[in-house]
Amino acid sequence: MSTVALKEQDSHTHEHHHKESFVSKYIFSMDHKMISKQFLITGIIMGVIGMGMSMLFRLQLAWPDEQFGILEMLLGKWAVDGKLDPNFYMGLVTIHGTIMVFYVLTAGLSGTFSNLLIPLQVGARDMASPFLNMLSYWFFFLSSVVLMSSVFIETGPASAGWTVYPPLSALEKAVPGSGLGMTLWLVAIALFIVSALFGGINYISTVLNMRTKGMSMNRMPLTIWAFLFTAILGVLSFPVLLGASLFLIFDRSFGTSFYLSDIYLDGIGALENVGGSPVLYQHLFWFLGHPEVYIILLPALGITSEVISTNARKPIFGYSAMVISLASISFLSFIVWGHHMFITGMNPFLGSVFMILTLIIAVPSAVKAFNYLATLWRGNLRLTPAMLFSIGLVSFFISGGLTGIYLGNAALDIQMHDSYFVVAHFHLVMGSAAIFGMMAGIYHWFPRMYGRMMNNTLGYFHFWITFITAYLVFFPMHFMGLAGVPRRYYQFTLMEDFSIWGDVNKLITVAALVGGFAQILFLYNFFNSIFRGKKSTQNPWQSNTLEWTSPIEVRLHGNWPKELPTVYRGPYEYSRPDRDEDFFPQHIKDEESPEVLYTTKTKVAPKKVVLEEESNVFFTAIKRLFGLSR
Amino acid sequence: MAQNKIKDRLPLIAPAKFNLWLFMLSSSMLFAAFLSAYIVQRPDSIAKQTWTVFNLPVYFFYSLIIAMLSSVTMQLAYRAAKNDELAKNKQLIIVTLLLGLLFTLSQYLGWRELLHLDLTFVNPRPEDISASYVWVITVIHFVHVLGGIVLLSIAWVKTAQLNIHKKKLNFMSITNTYWHFVGLLWFILYFFIYFAR
Repeated sequence: MSTVALKEQDSHTHEHHHKESFVSKYIFSMDHKMISKQFLITGIIMGVIGMGMSMLFRLQLAWPDEQFGILEMLLGKWAVDGKLDPNFYMGLVTIHGTIMVFYVLTAGLSGTFSNLLIPLQVGARDMASPFLNMLSYWFFFLSSVVLMSSVFIETGPASAGWTVYPPLSALEKAVPGSGLGMTLWLVAIALFIVSALFGGINYISTVLNMRTKGMSMNRMPLTIWAFLFTAILGVLSFPVLLGASLFLIFDRSFGTSFYLSDIYLDGIGALENVGGSPVLYQHLFWFLGHPEVYIILLPALGITSEVISTNARKPIFGYSAMVISLASISFLSFIVWGHHMFITGMNPFLGSVFMILTLIIAVPSAVKAFNYLATLWRGNLRLTPAMLFSIGLVSFFISGGLTGIYLGNAALDIQMHDSYFVVAHFHLVMGSAAIFGMMAGIYHWFPRMYGRMMNNTLGYFHFWITFITAYLVFFPMHFMGLAGVPRRYYQFTLMEDFSIWGDVNKLITVAALVGGFAQILFLYNFFNSIFRGKKSTQNPWQSNTLEWTSPIEVRLHGNWPKELPTVYRGPYEYSRPDRDEDFFPQHIKDEESPEVLYTTKTKVAPKKVVLEEESNVFFTAIKRLFGLSR
Repeated sequence: MAQNKIKDRLPLIAPAKFNLWLFMLSSSMLFAAFLSAYIVQRPDSIAKQTWTVFNLPVYFFYSLIIAMLSSVTMQLAYRAAKNDELAKNKQLIIVTLLLGLLFTLSQYLGWRELLHLDLTFVNPRPEDISASYVWVITVIHFVHVLGGIVLLSIAWVKTAQLNIHKKKLNFMSITNTYWHFVGLLWFILYFFIYFAR
């Protein structure tokens, strides 16, 4: 078939500089660069809403008996006399989690940077299917609108936590947030899944099928590897969530009993639904839910690899090991979902299997952390805001990742499950780390997106305030969790054991407010720089990858005005001793070896150097695998 | 601005075909989720005596035969297009399309039989949750078949417009692959439910 396809496309040519209307250029655009901006701006708006919600419920946790006029002004009947309604509190927690996990850190992060960088870094004119790509954004947009509309309805938004476990989510009359709000949540997520699938299919197809000449897999930037694995995870796991959501919709709206059995509702009595199991939902949900953690994290890790290598002016330490780690994490993420369900009455043997598999993830994760540190070690560091945010990611990845080892342990999880320890863990390793990766990406590729530079001073303030406050918010939560403080509770004042954490809650809230308002610096910097930022040069960071070879001053649908660039080497050839400049872009031909293409793995043994003995071949291979010998 | 025509290096596989394979992979995961749920639910429900074991309607088996036959005619149609036998290609597409419609009828009769046995989607008896699974699996599969019927209809129009021939096979190839996929899917689903009921 491929021969046929090739023959058919022989006559295929690309036409550039075609005229576009306002609608086709800015709204229903099929240009991946514009779509990436659409994802980013929508993601930022959703991020502001999600973060704003967290600030509101943090006020409740810090000062549970106080009245805040601003709450009544903002929320109306949900905060009568300035005190947050308990049902709405739960709704805020639910929508905050949903927004941050799906709308900011999945679509906002992966949607933005996969769209921007995949075609540009692999040397393609656009995505495999620009139309599908456009649909991907508009399904995401529609999904965002449906989700946000649920906040404004009479019964309030969904309120069963972002995981929407049944039976709370399956029975319309369980709590106010189980009504229309939950239905809208499910519709929004179904639309979101369609968007994620359209996007993911396109990303995989473009990476595997549309790379430019010379761009072999082992010359791809680590960003592309990360986006590829992210897309594979999404394409394989989102359909399972779709299946889970369909069952939930059937239970709620048609009266089936996939997840329901032996339910007694106050005021209604025993329900007729028998035979189902709510634990089944958890299995299906977490089959997506755990890979989702990596759908969020992997793009941030890929971005960090690129930013750290570029700004340390060093080749990334252990390129192959980084790729293998990404692959291992991706594979393992599919077989560890049970660690979210240790306390569901799971067979202890099965729990042990999930525990061991979970703990194995620490190995590739540690490889990545050490490789970041080794890349930084003795590098010629350029501490740009992007670099600082990347280093911040490494910090969160380590501190948040370590607590994952505790939580992956089935015995310890009995104590820590659903406590603030869990909240602290995932907000550091997944939330803060991924947000910092996203920020690193925005600061680094802003010139590529808008042709202008962001303000560095504001960037530094933004970084330091956010970094410090993120730790102030999430680090104390570990201790609360160890003491048994449960998550999602509205108020602790009536519980003596937990009320002692009142002052800590105040500290956390103050830090959250400071950190939240610090984002105004970022927003101002971002939007102001789009129009008034200093104009960027073509390759402001002196980077090697192909996106800096496409003209940034004019928006060109097709990316390159002439032929596609040819790639001659890997993406991380920084500070080569045989070069005057400390970078060597992928597309520049190496005049000294016109026939043999140089790769990051190629090593020419200098004369008079004794090669490793045969017995050392194994260790040499291991060393090369981990980048110790280049 | 002046148009600038540049010949690019071609992708190894036509992007639409590549996307189709990924879609099929993704779709398979949806059915894998349904079947996994079925596997998880069944032993629990049998232990609690909330699982009805029933024979699948014979029409579902007829659907299987029809699906296999239509796969053969589809392949022959594709081969005819490849050899530029356009009239034969058109006839075989029509035959495949008719078989697709026959599959629809057969599924409809199967569902009607389920209803006659009181094995409804929303089960009146708690132990009939097994029927809910059969309904979900067969209906969602049928939605996929509808997609195939749409593709076949477009292929038919394209054939009439002489837009499918040996130098323009992309759409035919996509239709062919997808039709085999939905047929194979029914084969797997039918035997899964048959043996695991």
